[in-house]
Amino acid sequence: MNRGEGGMETPDRYAKAERDILAAMGKPGKAWLAGAGFAAVLMLIGGVLWAYQIREGLGVAGYTHPVNWAVYITNFVFWVGIAHSGTLISAVLFLFRAKFRTSFNRAAEAMTVFALMVAGLFPIVHLGRSWVFYYLLPYPNQRQLWVNFRSPLIWDVFAVGTYFTVSLVFFYVGMIPDFAVAQRWKEGIRKKVYKVLSLGWKGTDRQWRHYAMLYLFLAAFATPLVASVHSVVSWDFAMSILPGWHTTIFAPYFVAGAIFSGTAMVITLVIPLRKALNLQEYVTDDHFESIAKIMLFTSLIVTYSYIVEFGLAWYGENPFETEAFRYRIAGNFRYLAWAMIFCNSLVPLTLFVRKLRRNMAYLLIVSLLVNVGMWLERFVIIVTSLAHDYDPYVWGTYSPTFVEVGISLGSFGMFFLLYLLFVKNLPVLSITEIKEHL
Amino acid sequence: MPGKMVYKDKDAFLEGLRTAVRDGVPPDRIRTITPFDVPEAERILSRGRSKVRFFALLGAASGTAAGFAFTILTSLSWPLIVGGKPIVSIPPFIIIAFALTILFGALSTFAGFLLLAGLPSPRAIRSDEDHGNRFVILVEEEEPR
Repeated sequence: MNRGEGGMETPDRYAKAERDILAAMGKPGKAWLAGAGFAAVLMLIGGVLWAYQIREGLGVAGYTHPVNWAVYITNFVFWVGIAHSGTLISAVLFLFRAKFRTSFNRAAEAMTVFALMVAGLFPIVHLGRSWVFYYLLPYPNQRQLWVNFRSPLIWDVFAVGTYFTVSLVFFYVGMIPDFAVAQRWKEGIRKKVYKVLSLGWKGTDRQWRHYAMLYLFLAAFATPLVASVHSVVSWDFAMSILPGWHTTIFAPYFVAGAIFSGTAMVITLVIPLRKALNLQEYVTDDHFESIAKIMLFTSLIVTYSYIVEFGLAWYGENPFETEAFRYRIAGNFRYLAWAMIFCNSLVPLTLFVRKLRRNMAYLLIVSLLVNVGMWLERFVIIVTSLAHDYDPYVWGTYSPTFVEVGISLGSFGMFFLLYLLFVKNLPVLSITEIKEHL
Repeated sequence: MPGKMVYKDKDAFLEGLRTAVRDGVPPDRIRTITPFDVPEAERILSRGRSKVRFFALLGAASGTAAGFAFTILTSLSWPLIVGGKPIVSIPPFIIIAFALTILFGALSTFAGFLLLAGLPSPRAIRSDEDHGNRFVILVEEEEPR
């Protein structure tokens, strides 16, 4: 990597921060290539299976008559949820002036953008005729009839579309001054690309003054999205009349779950990132402890929601509701439901112990279990409610086929591949903000 | 007294800025270049608050208006009752208007920033002038734009 002259004459600590952070963007090592190769293969498998599904029709997925929403919708909700803590960390913690945000915000913003890209694919994968997905977009069809704005699926288009656009702008705006730094350390075509991406940023008082106001407002605009987007996603379910879905608690319950799973994913991504790139100086154990506390807190909210859901079903004396929740905890999918409670409610309780919060290996294991648990939560909510609704005549069950499993794994491949490309091509930490706090 | 002063350290830079203002250099003629945002410098130069905030307000307000206008007018252009809901169903339309408020507000704020900060600047992209991590005070002869 070119160690440019620009950084060396300046105060050492600033130049050192730049060098340490930009070192990540050097030549890829074996571990990176192996990881990216593995992720690319997974993504390719997912892509081939999707092509197969498009060719053969949705029959190759494991949908049965009562269960018409399953793994694909689970993945959609899971990935949208993952996106949430990115906004929480970058926008909400910015408004609260939480300093530890600087260690995670770039990684979290990147995660938000990539998770939404993956999430956006799943409603399309779930369609029988994926090529007519544009029917969902608000445009008048040949007969000048517009989309039905009373449908939660259209709300999704607006909510997720807005979320993606705003997150992308926020992600990019945060990087503008960093691109100006990065171009200084690079040569040739990469220098030119970073220069163009920096838009000609020089750091004048005029630029900083407007930039500070822009950043504040983008954070303020993004903050309500943390609550609104997953609320809208939850209404995809809550607007129906299905027992187990039709409940007012869904919006806050889903929002808490989204932040919970997203925080876990940030921890899953940043622990290996910090180790691989030697960023211990900038992302400290204290920072991880703070974020572990957010995870613990949201876990308690999620647990409380489980208690309220079951409590209502038990005390409400509505036979359909009672049966739906009896089936959820003791029916065909009971092992998944128990695993969900173990991962989401019990394991995170150990984070009350300070020593465990500060143990990186342990934290990584907890975060992986939470990711598994939150995926299972969505699966359990979606599938058990559909499989076992009002009329025993239509009760059924469901198990995913290799196509669904493969496409789901492919989505993880796509997410991790995008993430690895991000690590090699964009500054992984906010250089200017770190310099500000030095 | 046009000129350029370069500092390696934030505190020295702020001191230099204070001295310049005390010596009677009109703050309008002072330009600074810093590696990160220094809000104290803004206060010394008594710059007003950025006008980017008006773009935020304008964008957000137009988003709310557009959200309601879009949903109501398109529903009325072919009044079709779906699911027994009224043609103009305000509660679901609020969700659309809310999303567009945020979307238009964020995009308009970003556009306002680009406009006010003079970005993207092709001249600056081509130029190789670079002050690295130093803090620079520039005093211009003419009042800068």
